[in-house]
Amino acid sequence: MSPQIISAQPMISGKTATSSAISFKTINQHSKTARDNKHKADWRGWKFMWPFAAVFVFVFIIPIVYAVYISFFKKQMIGGTKFVGFDNYAKLMSDMQFWSSVGRVALFTVVQVPIMLFLAAAMALAIDSMKLHGTKFFRISTFLPYAVPAVVSTLIWGFMYGAKYGLVRSFNDLFGTNLDVMVPSVLLISIGNIVTWEFVGYNMLIFYSSLSTIPHSLYEAASIDGASEWQIVKSIKLPELKGSLAITVIFSIIGSFQLFNEPSILQNMVPGNAITTYYTPNMYAYNLSFSGNQSNYAAALAIVMAVITMAIAYAVQLNSMKEQMK
Amino acid sequence: MRNAKKAVAAMAAITTLVGLAACGNSSTAKVDTDTANAKGEIVFWGWGNGIKETIDAFEKANPNITVKYSSTGTAADTATALQNAIAAGKGAPDVIMLEDATVPQFVVDGSVIDLSQFGADKFADDFAAGPWAKMLQEGKPYALPIDSSPEVFFYNKATFDKAGVDGESIKTWDDYYEAAKKVRALGGDYYITNSIDYQPFLAQAWQAGAQPFKVDGENITINMNDKGLQQYVAFQQKLIDEDLINPKITNWSDDWYRSLGDGTTATLSIGAWMPTDLETGAAAGKGNWRVAQLPQWTDGEEASSEDGGSSLAITAQSKNTAAAYKFAEFLTHGDGAKVMADHGTFPATKKLLEDPSFQSEKNEYFGRQEVNKVLAEAAERKVSKFQYLPYNSFAQSKYGDDVVPAFQGKTTLKDALAKYAKTLADYGTDQGYTVSNQ
Amino acid sequence: MSAATSARLTEAELRAQEKAARRAERERQKRIARDEAAERKRSEKAGFANVNNPRRSTLMTILCAIFAVYCLFPFVYLAINATKTQADFTSTFGLGFGKTFALWDNIATVFTYQNGIFGRWLVNTLIYVVVGAGGATLLAIMGGYALAKFRFPGRKAVFAVIIGSISVPGIALAVPQFLLFAKLGLTNTPWAMIIPSLISPFGLYLMWIFSEQAVPTELLEAARVDGASEFRTFWTISLPLLAPGIVTTALFTIVATWNNYFLPLIMLKDADWYPLTIGLNQWKDQASTAGGQAIQNLVITGSLITIIPLVIAFLCLQKYWQSGLAAGAVKE
Repeated sequence: MSPQIISAQPMISGKTATSSAISFKTINQHSKTARDNKHKADWRGWKFMWPFAAVFVFVFIIPIVYAVYISFFKKQMIGGTKFVGFDNYAKLMSDMQFWSSVGRVALFTVVQVPIMLFLAAAMALAIDSMKLHGTKFFRISTFLPYAVPAVVSTLIWGFMYGAKYGLVRSFNDLFGTNLDVMVPSVLLISIGNIVTWEFVGYNMLIFYSSLSTIPHSLYEAASIDGASEWQIVKSIKLPELKGSLAITVIFSIIGSFQLFNEPSILQNMVPGNAITTYYTPNMYAYNLSFSGNQSNYAAALAIVMAVITMAIAYAVQLNSMKEQMK
Repeated sequence: MRNAKKAVAAMAAITTLVGLAACGNSSTAKVDTDTANAKGEIVFWGWGNGIKETIDAFEKANPNITVKYSSTGTAADTATALQNAIAAGKGAPDVIMLEDATVPQFVVDGSVIDLSQFGADKFADDFAAGPWAKMLQEGKPYALPIDSSPEVFFYNKATFDKAGVDGESIKTWDDYYEAAKKVRALGGDYYITNSIDYQPFLAQAWQAGAQPFKVDGENITINMNDKGLQQYVAFQQKLIDEDLINPKITNWSDDWYRSLGDGTTATLSIGAWMPTDLETGAAAGKGNWRVAQLPQWTDGEEASSEDGGSSLAITAQSKNTAAAYKFAEFLTHGDGAKVMADHGTFPATKKLLEDPSFQSEKNEYFGRQEVNKVLAEAAERKVSKFQYLPYNSFAQSKYGDDVVPAFQGKTTLKDALAKYAKTLADYGTDQGYTVSNQ
Repeated sequence: MSAATSARLTEAELRAQEKAARRAERERQKRIARDEAAERKRSEKAGFANVNNPRRSTLMTILCAIFAVYCLFPFVYLAINATKTQADFTSTFGLGFGKTFALWDNIATVFTYQNGIFGRWLVNTLIYVVVGAGGATLLAIMGGYALAKFRFPGRKAVFAVIIGSISVPGIALAVPQFLLFAKLGLTNTPWAMIIPSLISPFGLYLMWIFSEQAVPTELLEAARVDGASEFRTFWTISLPLLAPGIVTTALFTIVATWNNYFLPLIMLKDADWYPLTIGLNQWKDQASTAGGQAIQNLVITGSLITIIPLVIAFLCLQKYWQSGLAAGAVKE
């Protein structure tokens, strides 16, 4: 962060500190002692970490352990609960409804996440460029949809999608088209639009914030060197975005794989069975648990989904994030 | 070291909690039937209109009992919540409102109690036949009906006038078919009705004399192809093939209400609880709607059936069953039933149904028609034997997956029902039932 | 001067020197921040970020305006429909006004319907936000600080465990979570809503990155040498430096808590404890219940009212939240 501190370090290691750097030297000797005693664990961090960890264990870890536990059982209306080993997992492997739902969210992720992140990054660059009239207005209006509860935003979009009474109808009347965005073939795109609308601002803000950490001296230096605007974007701004890309990609992948609110609310508005009870893995889990009395099977599904999600998130981005975390 | 101990302690805590959660068997409290001395607080989960007012009346009449009411959303939400409380072994209310069709699944796992302990069986003749029949499991009442819900026929007179159809002359399903063609001839979005939902589907099959489910303890027979269903399916298929049913509108959606309001969906065959939904959801249709008896398969018959309907049950977890029963009895059979009826519930007791002032009430929404008279007549008609599956929630959720594609023309109704029957049979087998799928 | 000499200095001298150095460092930091702020202001005033590119672009503004329309359009729908009666809502065009202008009536009805339960939900939500989002922010600050400034055992695993855990579909965890809460008697209490809200993985990440950059380790070491306890150091030195990042994290946790939906739906069956989202959804469901009374006009108006406090919070915190992110955000 500060060049002075960094330069203090070689001074210490070289044992050539001047009197002005003495305090840093002492300080660093302290930390050096701490480093030397690395084999003796430093537990101080837990003094600050434990409240988060405790609540996290309570809200996530225990339920996950319990989910793993019940995934080895089967509960029947007739016959009660019995241990079945890996039966639920074996059944899941050949459950076509499950795999079709996984395929659907995978497709959704591959298409929607890049579009959303591209829009978010483009908007962040535009706002950061200071070339817009009314920067503040654009910043707030892009972020505002994030404030709308998913229930409400799906209701609003659901109305607008209506081919009979919604805006789509008005559009069709106006242009003589015969558009219907609620038919199964384009429904996933329609859902993707809702999700994009909801979260583009959230991601924009993360990108934008990372752009604002770029020191201005860098821009000045670049322009003195005669770099064009585009070159600055390419060689200064985009590399900066890469860092925040890791976290947004991971959160977006997890979010898409857990797609639930939007399709389940739309289910009641979409004609026919365009949205089945196994449209997404999360909807399938919901129906297994709450309409089907099959919590054990749903638990197995959850574990498998977690493994799949993690594997993908890891493959895509976790590595670069680990670097960032040291 | 200290931290290692902490870690051990944490693990121990986790294990204990998991253990706690694992032994989630419902603790059955002792059933107290001494209703005369009932007192204390009871918790009640339900939905709908007039509940608050009924509770006020109850607490006034029974100052020793307080009712804590929570509106728990839709019937499905309420059933889910009860299921969760059962799994947790605690947290269930004392009195719960259930959709009639879901009562059997809670009887099977012992979550609701037999009300004949309180003498509810003597009400058999006080309630209309249709709703009462649904309360009985193995001959014993496990719930008390809040409303009767005979399947009736609602039609939009304005649309019919435009199409040249006389609503009053529709007596049979053949008449209905002719009317459907005339309505469709209006063009645009005009249809006789929209694609059919789970509940109305069962109700209309029931009216045709179908018995898709037969449940005898652990044995279930599923038959989606008996005589009644064959008749019903052939008729529906004809409507679908000739584009007489709107496949693009689904029940309970905004579009549905709008189409009922503007008359493009011209008729509904649905339960007698529908007037309130119409009045508020399709306010624009005021004055245009009428109600009549369901068309018959053979002219002159008086076959009826039940669609939906709700009832009150007492949970096995209740620690104050006496007060719980007292309240359930009050709301369904006692003075509370009148309060409920005044707030739009279509009553289940014969006394209220036959009340002349109730029957002669003129309804503005229905062009001052004496709606209650028609509905009451339907409620008191005889119904054939019909059973719901002990896993009704599952059956309801899968109906959309398997059957609805037939209304979209993606498959025939017959094939769709065969697929549906297989889904239901497989599930039953998986749940430990002995299922025969015919 | 050699290390041996410095070791011979008295402790008092050492401490005095450290304090002086710390002060110098703080002042230097302030100076840098001042310079940067001034520089930004200058360039913003002048209307360009880069010395060689002084013009605002109309084309870019138009492109962004199209995007802004996309973002804001649904709000227009919401605002228009909040002015309609139930009858108009189901019979008139979605983007046109109804026959009667019923906004004030609707607002009044929202707050009086069912004995004014909407007000209760609003208060509940505020409580959940203050305690839940406030707590979540605090836990995230402490956790992020620990991750950034201490090399404790298990540190490297923390984020992997969190990412792993939130990958488990929340819906399927709802049943185990419900059972756990029920066993402890927490369902149907505000705790069922508050405790899960306390976890904000993204908040933790943000505070981690932010602490790493905003709190110089040397400052902490100096305070320790002074004999201050870890918590004192945290409260008096680190927390003030973290302030901008805290505002940002708080914004995210507030939105998350305000919009929390699924878990409370399972956990709470006592209408007196519902947050707004559950309450509104329940009103919405009335239209799809046999014998129910459709009140979509109240749902729409209620939704609008629900969003307003968040919008106001955004607008008010806009300044802080920007500087917070600017100073601390995600860096490679």
